Amino acid sequence: MSLVTVGIADFKVSNNPEDTLVTYSLGSCIGLAVYDPEAKIGGMLHYMLPDSSINQEKAEKNPAMFANKGIPLLFKQCYKLGADKKRMIIKVAGGSQIMDAASTFNIGKRNYAILRKIFWKNNVMVDGEDIGGNCNRTMYMQIDDGRINLKISKKGMVEL
Amino acid sequence: MSLMEEIIAAVDEMPPFPQVVQRAMQVLAEPEYEVSGLVDILKVDQAVTANILKLCNSAYFGLPRKVSSLKEAVVYLGATQLRQLLLSGAASKIYEKPNEGYAVFADELWRHALATAVMAQVIRRHLRLEIDENMIFTAALLHDVGKVVLSAFVSDKYRVIENLVENGKRSFQEAEKEILGFDHAEIGGKIAEKWDFPPAIIAAIAFHHEPFRSPKEFRLLAELVALANNLVVMVGYGTGVDGLACRGHDLLLKKMKLEEKDLEKLVLLFQTEMEKTCDIAGVGSG
Repeated sequence: MSLVTVGIADFKVSNNPEDTLVTYSLGSCIGLAVYDPEAKIGGMLHYMLPDSSINQEKAEKNPAMFANKGIPLLFKQCYKLGADKKRMIIKVAGGSQIMDAASTFNIGKRNYAILRKIFWKNNVMVDGEDIGGNCNRTMYMQIDDGRINLKISKKGMVEL
Repeated sequence: MSLMEEIIAAVDEMPPFPQVVQRAMQVLAEPEYEVSGLVDILKVDQAVTANILKLCNSAYFGLPRKVSSLKEAVVYLGATQLRQLLLSGAASKIYEKPNEGYAVFADELWRHALATAVMAQVIRRHLRLEIDENMIFTAALLHDVGKVVLSAFVSDKYRVIENLVENGKRSFQEAEKEILGFDHAEIGGKIAEKWDFPPAIIAAIAFHHEPFRSPKEFRLLAELVALANNLVVMVGYGTGVDGLACRGHDLLLKKMKLEEKDLEKLVLLFQTEMEKTCDIAGVGSG
């Protein structure tokens, strides 16, 4: 088994059954994991911000930083490997917030809202999610069977 | 010995802050320092000398030839780079102790500290705050140093602390204070005092969760560290068992006139800067 790290503002796709994709330290950021169980192709994205309109230049250089650029890119890269949209299983984790934070602080909530909006527009259903709260999460995806495990700061390891 | 006495004894046992670094910082704080005087201080410490040369010859600077003299490297790097290198080197050693009370993954405390220092600088530039860059970097880098001492005590009482956080809507730091009698910020302040740091830095460390309690003359620095800490915890950089159970300072946002888009811009600038810093420091940013 090899552990493939998805950094912050980064994404990875794989069709190697030996791989486990992992992304650490999801606070307000969102980890999006997509998987085609038939083709055994999976991808994971760790984005930080909802919308790239704040900096077009950065959006060109590092689309994975933003939901609006990173989400379509993740799907496209999976299709390139042979994944099919109709078969995709979608799981989402992250979007946490610090305590009694005013809405200004709540980038996590905005990160999640834009994901729902993009999915709604594109008829994509979410199959599992663990969102919000005051915890941080680490997300693992096994490419051989698409299983998603979360290591949550207060609860330990759980399957999503 | 009571629990509180045990904790104070543990503060007394903290090793001193490296003398070479502290003396070099004093020299570097002067607007026109003598390079030879600085070299005399630095050359005493072989590890520090090696690190300076290594940084200067790193791919990041892409120099056409190898620099092998300490003096040349000091001149080339300049005051800001040198200060950051010296402080980061000293701080990474301090944070590298086992941290079973807080960390979920190794290196977490150090990565969080470095991220907070980077974020504080990004905020200062964005808001054009008139605070000394060194003060900011030092205070932000060392703001969680109290966790190094408190780790073992938190580990012992973890269940009780966690229960308070779960049930009582307390932040992790408030629960520490309730159970142990001290929180990591206060303990950090005591360590900084023991190290003879300037009062502004002591206050910023001691009040980074409650900047409104800081003495007025040092409050801006404490506020800046508190906000940088808030944002770095929010993003999830190096948060441990305490997760995001940290109180957000909404009033600071109002005071600094920061709105949603500003925070998003700060996060973006931070991430770009952090990747650069990690490249130089040779640690992973992800």
